[in-house]
Amino acid sequence: MKKAALFIPCSVNLILPGIAGAADLVLKRLGVTTVYPDNQTCCGQMVYNKGFFDQAKSFARHFIQVFENFDAVVCPSGSCTAMVKNRYPTLFDDDPSMKKRAELLSTRIFEFSEYIVDVLKIEDTGAVFNGKVAYHESCHLNRDLGISAQPKALIRAAKGAQLVHMNNADQCCGFGGEFSVAYPDISNALVESKVKCYLESGADILVLGEPGCLLNINGYLERNHPEKRAMHIAEFLAEQGEHHGC
Amino acid sequence: MDVKTESYVAEAKKELVNPSSRMFLDFFLPVLSAVREIGLSSFPAPQAAVERARAIRRQSVGRLGELLETFERNAMKAGAKVFWAKTAADANMYIRDLINRHKIPYVTKGKSMITEEMGLNDVLAKNGTSVYETDLGEFIIQLLEKPPFHIIGPAINIPTDEICRIFMERAGMEKPTTDPVALGQAARDFLRDKFKHMQLGITGVNMAVAETGSIINVENEGNIRFNKSAPAIQVSVMSIEKIVATMDDALHMLRMLCRNGTGQKLTSYVTVDTGPRKTDEMDGPEELHIIIMDNGRSRIYENPKTREVLQCIRCGACINICPVFRQIGGYPYGWAYTGPIGKLLNPLLLGLDRTTDLYGACTLCNACKNVCPAGIDHPSMILYFRNRNMKQDQVLNGKGATFSERFFANTAGIAGSYPIVWNTATKIGKAAAARFGADHPLVKAWTEKRAFPPMPKKTYRDIRKK
Repeated sequence: MKKAALFIPCSVNLILPGIAGAADLVLKRLGVTTVYPDNQTCCGQMVYNKGFFDQAKSFARHFIQVFENFDAVVCPSGSCTAMVKNRYPTLFDDDPSMKKRAELLSTRIFEFSEYIVDVLKIEDTGAVFNGKVAYHESCHLNRDLGISAQPKALIRAAKGAQLVHMNNADQCCGFGGEFSVAYPDISNALVESKVKCYLESGADILVLGEPGCLLNINGYLERNHPEKRAMHIAEFLAEQGEHHGC
Repeated sequence: MDVKTESYVAEAKKELVNPSSRMFLDFFLPVLSAVREIGLSSFPAPQAAVERARAIRRQSVGRLGELLETFERNAMKAGAKVFWAKTAADANMYIRDLINRHKIPYVTKGKSMITEEMGLNDVLAKNGTSVYETDLGEFIIQLLEKPPFHIIGPAINIPTDEICRIFMERAGMEKPTTDPVALGQAARDFLRDKFKHMQLGITGVNMAVAETGSIINVENEGNIRFNKSAPAIQVSVMSIEKIVATMDDALHMLRMLCRNGTGQKLTSYVTVDTGPRKTDEMDGPEELHIIIMDNGRSRIYENPKTREVLQCIRCGACINICPVFRQIGGYPYGWAYTGPIGKLLNPLLLGLDRTTDLYGACTLCNACKNVCPAGIDHPSMILYFRNRNMKQDQVLNGKGATFSERFFANTAGIAGSYPIVWNTATKIGKAAAARFGADHPLVKAWTEKRAFPPMPKKTYRDIRKK
């Protein structure tokens, strides 16, 4: 029996708890015992991206302490995983013992779809979805973590799902955390262009692995194309036939 | 050239709805990125070729001082005059004095980013020297008095009717036309006359080869070749980082530069010059002046965190792929360099305080880093700038954090270590945002065009606890 600790990003915990519930459900269905360390807080990406590296360090110290004793930490967000995996070790260049702990944790944290495909070696999760599916290659999953084949394999293996091509699938949707509110005009233009590609793809649903992109794309869809929506990969895989397209 | 980096947001807003910019941005940039992919696929092992290029650039910059000295020695041995310019002003003055000494009435130029950075045209205009840009795009924007829109296609966004108007007004074109070929011919006729009587030509340098003392230029119009071979005096300006160790390295970087810039295996013209005309040679300049300009780059070099930016070969691949550039184009960057490389070079050369939006308006999507054939990690350097800006870095002219920014980060940093505090604070924040948030500018920035999902009653933590 595999055991994994769930790292639930702030946006999911506070605004989109359904994603965490779905991730938990899918992992349990695949025979994984999940643990939710309830002393977890935040990875610190938000202050880090603003340039507050020292403050990010205190988030990192706490995070490492909470999660370092698990063999596997699973997170339904690419950018939060990348923060821990790729950024944490660079924060402690002046602190060799913390750096070592950060590097060790870096080998034990997995993005949700990566964990299922690469660690559990499962592609068919028993998900059922009747319809065409487009996949948005969220930047931090795709380019920061190199995760692209895994979620697509999971989508392809879902019963009834047909993965279709979407133009510019790997172009940023314009979320970028604070970017979306600091530069709303550019951000809007980007999400508009992303949604245009989604509509042109003819897909019934847009699946992705990043809560930030989801907030952004669904926020735009609700205003402009309320009949369409995007879905987190965990929610997509949790589907077992009760939902038919859009 | 004028520095307009502080009007980034306003310029971006204009460009987002500018139809002629949109046309180019929406269709041409994705095409450029696609032809780059096709170009790279002509290598037997594309990724290995990219890795080799990155290693060459890393090593060239790592050995910068030594290679520049070797280059100087070999260039002088071949008969070139080498001038080290500490600042843009030094370089401008050298060229101005040369022009005045030889009583030269006008000069012609090949397209170069470095002379944009120096503001050379303005200096020469003040000196009473006419300057003719001879690259078609650069010629158009010179007449229009506009900054370059893109480092490879400076006028690529200008519609043909605007080109027609300005050619009739300022380039002696007699009959109106919007036929691109006819417009090209009009520019050619006008410039051919200038080439005929030219005495001094100015170009940039794409690569300088240390072991041979040669300078290399790539182009598609033949105008740089004219500038380098027809006049009695040739002036070529390079920034210190243009150096590579060997001709073998240079040839590999050429293959990379062309494929990454335009998707071509090689541009239509490649010129390699080693010294001026020799006694037994038919053509070439009598004098070759090579200006090696620093203009703040030694300082960039001294800092191991910023040195990497000197690896850039100005191919433009990062610009074409950048999602932000694809929306706003080149004007908002407000100075010589645009796109991701502009987000790095402009702040380093102008100061972090004047360029906050350049490194601020980035989603950290990593597309630039991913395509860069020179091995630059743009997002990491952007994050480094944000950090140095908050820290009020003296060397880089950091502005410092505002009180509320620092207060928020410090409080968050402390709360992040105490789960009870964190959970209480985030819940209060969530409730406050739901109740009172609608008028907050940050919330408005989101909700103007996008909906925000209804706040759930329970956090996942609450749900899980049950």
